[in-house]
Amino acid sequence: MLAQIASEALTGLQGHPVEVEVDVVAAAPAFSIVGLPDAAVQESRERVRAAIVNSSFEFPSRRITVNLAPADLRKEGPSFDLPIALAFLLATGQARDGGNGRGRLAALGELGLDGSLRPVAGALALAQSLRARGVRGLVLPAANAPEATLVRGLEVYPAATLAEAVAQLGAGGGAAAPPIDLEALLAATPIGDADVADIFGQNQVKRALEVAVAGAHNVLMTGPPGAGKTMLARRVPGIMPPLSPDEAIEITRIHSVAGLLPAGAPLVVRRPFRAPHHTISSPGLVGGGGTPRPGEVSLAHLGVLFLDEFPEYRLSALEGLRQPLEDGEITISRRLISVTFPARLMLIAAMNPCPCGYRGDAERECVCPGHRLRQYSSRLSGPLLDRIDLRLEVPRVPPRDRREAGSAESSATVRTRVIAARARQLTRLAGTGAYANAHMTARHLRRLCRLDPGATSLLDHAYERLHLSARACDRVIKVAQTIADLAGAETIDAGHLGESLSYRTSGRHGI
Amino acid sequence: MNERQQFGRAAEEAAALHLTRRGWTLLGRNVRIGRGELDLIVRRGSVLAFVEVKARRSASFGSPEDAVDPRKRRQVARLAEIWLGARPWALRGVSDVRFDVVAVDASAEPATVRHLPAAFTLDG
Repeated sequence: MLAQIASEALTGLQGHPVEVEVDVVAAAPAFSIVGLPDAAVQESRERVRAAIVNSSFEFPSRRITVNLAPADLRKEGPSFDLPIALAFLLATGQARDGGNGRGRLAALGELGLDGSLRPVAGALALAQSLRARGVRGLVLPAANAPEATLVRGLEVYPAATLAEAVAQLGAGGGAAAPPIDLEALLAATPIGDADVADIFGQNQVKRALEVAVAGAHNVLMTGPPGAGKTMLARRVPGIMPPLSPDEAIEITRIHSVAGLLPAGAPLVVRRPFRAPHHTISSPGLVGGGGTPRPGEVSLAHLGVLFLDEFPEYRLSALEGLRQPLEDGEITISRRLISVTFPARLMLIAAMNPCPCGYRGDAERECVCPGHRLRQYSSRLSGPLLDRIDLRLEVPRVPPRDRREAGSAESSATVRTRVIAARARQLTRLAGTGAYANAHMTARHLRRLCRLDPGATSLLDHAYERLHLSARACDRVIKVAQTIADLAGAETIDAGHLGESLSYRTSGRHGI
Repeated sequence: MNERQQFGRAAEEAAALHLTRRGWTLLGRNVRIGRGELDLIVRRGSVLAFVEVKARRSASFGSPEDAVDPRKRRQVARLAEIWLGARPWALRGVSDVRFDVVAVDASAEPATVRHLPAAFTLDG
């Protein structure tokens, strides 16, 4: 007897239909899987066999051939366990498909030896793809159901065990999972886990970070160890605009594919803050692997990527950042496939002023030899630094500021200004494809940014005196535009431009 | 026939007796195909089984069923395919085809016979 169950496979975030066919005939007993299965799919035989027997179904001694079509697509991972088991039970007459012509149900899930269903990675992307090709409903592990219900128009039938999955299939979709109220969930989630008010002093740096967030500018912070660079960076997601439901779905999709959804929390409802260690490999940072998986830049999509000890990262990893910073996505090409992951992130880089960390410090003396100093900063290439609009100096907080408490603004107050500034940008940038000032091209800049006479003359003056390149000049205007947006001003005046210039001239050794 | 072969025959005899007493019909015994041999081919109802008989005189080398190593399994499966290929009618009314092991343990008096249904399959 022959039976089929629809399923789905992923390359990157892209789904592909997979038809699971099982043929059971009376012949010398064998259980084989064909259709380019990888090791995890081959091992599926043992899980399926044990799960069927331990769920009180019969596993007759016949020849069982499983075909995963199309045969030229590499099948990976354990998510075909459930469709193989269901098709086998259909083929041996132990289950029935109660669809009654209402359209087919697809299935995916990993089986435990006891017949329990384990969650699989990428359920949201798989469900979106099934929906897009018109599949009516999906039987999947109960733990995956919440994320799958985010897909409108797809019926989601959760099952905790193989026996429950058989029941769902037999009923043609029995009990559907209720969709998640994503908006309520987002409203109930605090936006950041730490408040900027917790940080005493550092008011100039806080202001600069507000500007950076308002215009989605990347930031490089330079300061001695212990100045609070990490503390400041951690509070940035909290002053970003709240997540929209669509953004939450986009982030969840990537984290689900990477298998990083925390147990018990079906989706990501906060902006990500990723802080990979500087020993990370290039594929780890930008994504990669035989079958490409998202890297840190994609896990930080719509959130913050914090790279502490910036010059200590591998050169290959740092250079790999250029495409995502430029295009907001990263394309990973392998021998047979090419995969694109979104990577629209805000980069916050941090570094010490020198390898020992105390250059320019009032209390301690720097002990770095000159060549080490040059080596340190020369690791950061011009093209990479070009993508970083703001360079800030983060000094150590003097004891006076450390004692002064209670006066600092809360994250919520800062966020209100950021939201207003983003709204102004969206109106001005309508039709350009950009959503924030940092993403303006030189052409947009000429067309959309208005400098008043005072600002123009200040810029000309700075151009001469600071030997600004044309590109550096554009960056100064972009940041000045964000400052004007925060102030609610129509044109950029000398004050806005002056503040913008202060964010590029800090940092002492020419970077 | 040497002593070793005699012991093997006696074990097969004991296995065949064990199965026929339990309602199995003997379709073939010591079926030689090329250089290989299928010990017993039996049928009961809709089940057809190719039986490998394993006998041991002492327990010192592990249990008899452990002696059916992967090479032996592949050989039995290949011979079964050939046997079935030459007799398509043998599958009429058959739902399950199995590879069984019958273990004859002669390390103690009296000898014990154990039947292991579906002892192995040929997975690829």
